[in-house]
Amino acid sequence: MKRILIADDKATGRELLRTILENSGYEVFEAVDGLDVIKQAHEVRPDLMILDLHMPGLDGFGAVAKLRKDAAFAVTPIIALTASAMMGDRERALNSGFSGYVTKPIRLDALRSEIHRMLNEAV
Amino acid sequence: MAAKLPPLKSASTCDNVTSGFWSWTGIPVEERFRELLEAAPDAIMQVDSAGRILLLNRITEEMFGYTREELLGQPVEMLVPAHRRGAHAQHRDGYAAHPSTRPMGAKLKLEGMRKDGRCFPVEISLSPAGAGDDFRTTAIIRDVTERQEAEDHLRAVREEYTRELEQRGEQIERANRLKSEFLASMSHELRTPLHTIIGFSELLGEQIQGPLNEKQQRFVNHIHKDSLHLLALINDILDLSKIESGRLALRLETFDFSAVAAESLAFVRTPAEEKSLRIETSLGQPIAMTADRLRVKQILVNLLSNAVKFTPEQGGVHLAARVEMGALTVSVTDTGVGIPRSEHENIFDKFHQVGATTKGVREGTGLGLAITKQLVEEHGGTITVASEPGRGSCFTFTLPLHAVAKAAQ
Repeated sequence: MKRILIADDKATGRELLRTILENSGYEVFEAVDGLDVIKQAHEVRPDLMILDLHMPGLDGFGAVAKLRKDAAFAVTPIIALTASAMMGDRERALNSGFSGYVTKPIRLDALRSEIHRMLNEAV
Repeated sequence: MAAKLPPLKSASTCDNVTSGFWSWTGIPVEERFRELLEAAPDAIMQVDSAGRILLLNRITEEMFGYTREELLGQPVEMLVPAHRRGAHAQHRDGYAAHPSTRPMGAKLKLEGMRKDGRCFPVEISLSPAGAGDDFRTTAIIRDVTERQEAEDHLRAVREEYTRELEQRGEQIERANRLKSEFLASMSHELRTPLHTIIGFSELLGEQIQGPLNEKQQRFVNHIHKDSLHLLALINDILDLSKIESGRLALRLETFDFSAVAAESLAFVRTPAEEKSLRIETSLGQPIAMTADRLRVKQILVNLLSNAVKFTPEQGGVHLAARVEMGALTVSVTDTGVGIPRSEHENIFDKFHQVGATTKGVREGTGLGLAITKQLVEEHGGTITVASEPGRGSCFTFTLPLHAVAKAAQ
């Protein structure tokens, strides 16, 4: 079973993601902020991560920067999740080390196909 | 005129006049020259080669506060502020070396000094006379205190005004920045709860967690549909705010308009098929244009969606485009409900939706046409509507074939 680490400081956001992902047959791990992501990434060794960009303390940008410096996570697919919809946010995320970008509110189909694509799975 | 002048007294009165002046009265010419000198509104004086005052008129006395006796034979430098006296004497020698009639010290701020020590701004014209030891300089001195004051006042007002404008510019810039930050954060704050509302309602609707009865399914569907509508509204408001605050930077590129038209038509194909609408196009050849491709598509999709939305079943929508004199004219015509003439003017207003004629069609955000118009105008184009109730509508917009980038705001 493939492992996905999700990070969102809001519990409802985490529960939503967990449900969607578990329905699709993934094992889900939750982190509440950037530092938690770094800690759990080492413990869990996830196949994919979905990080909210806006988190207290170490945010998504900070977390991905730290992760990419670590050889263990240099190529792990990491998707940015954000409620921001300003022009240039996507470019900024993709230039900061993220492999994908998904906006809130998420559309279930869009998220599922993005994950499949990154894990090289058949849809 | 000439007939009214008194006759010449005699030629002899003019004998002493070297410069060809004629006297109309018996008064000697010399006396009349004295009158002329005394009547002049400027101070006039003559100075010899050593800089001593030889001659002066009445205004000179008034202007500098000395009597004639106090000035005659004295060095002219006594009328110059102490700190300028040395330079003045040098300039005087320089003038004797290259005499000509000219203003003194052009571009310099000249000052005179009164007997009481008060200094005042002056303008001086110089004329040479005589030569060698007999070299004399005539100086005409004008007190420009009032003009100087007026200029100083004007400069102060102008500086004040400039400062105020700069301040206001900074305020506007700050307000704009705050508005941008507010929009960004508001958009973020609104989307965060919408994210879970839309996500969970979609999950419930999928019934993976368990079956819903028919009513529950319908309720969940309402929640999902209306939360999507709310999202569209937030997106539209954000879009409009960006356009209105001038922060919508058009990303100009050259592309084929026909391709964008095809993509836009694909966008409305499904809803059109659901209502069995005929969709026709007159696009002709590929049309190369320079514009913001995404925004042009947004304009087209908005107009086509409206046309499909407001056209009853079995009706038709027609998209036509043509190029004329460097401009692209596109029209979207439908056989829909139409718009009364009285509504044509404010159809492009925010949140304006045509009342009675929409027959219950109220899916939109009421911002589509306002955004469409703004996008057309951002490109330097225009949009108009022709419509009659019951006979359909025709929206026509014209864009320059090659939009020019506006200066960054």
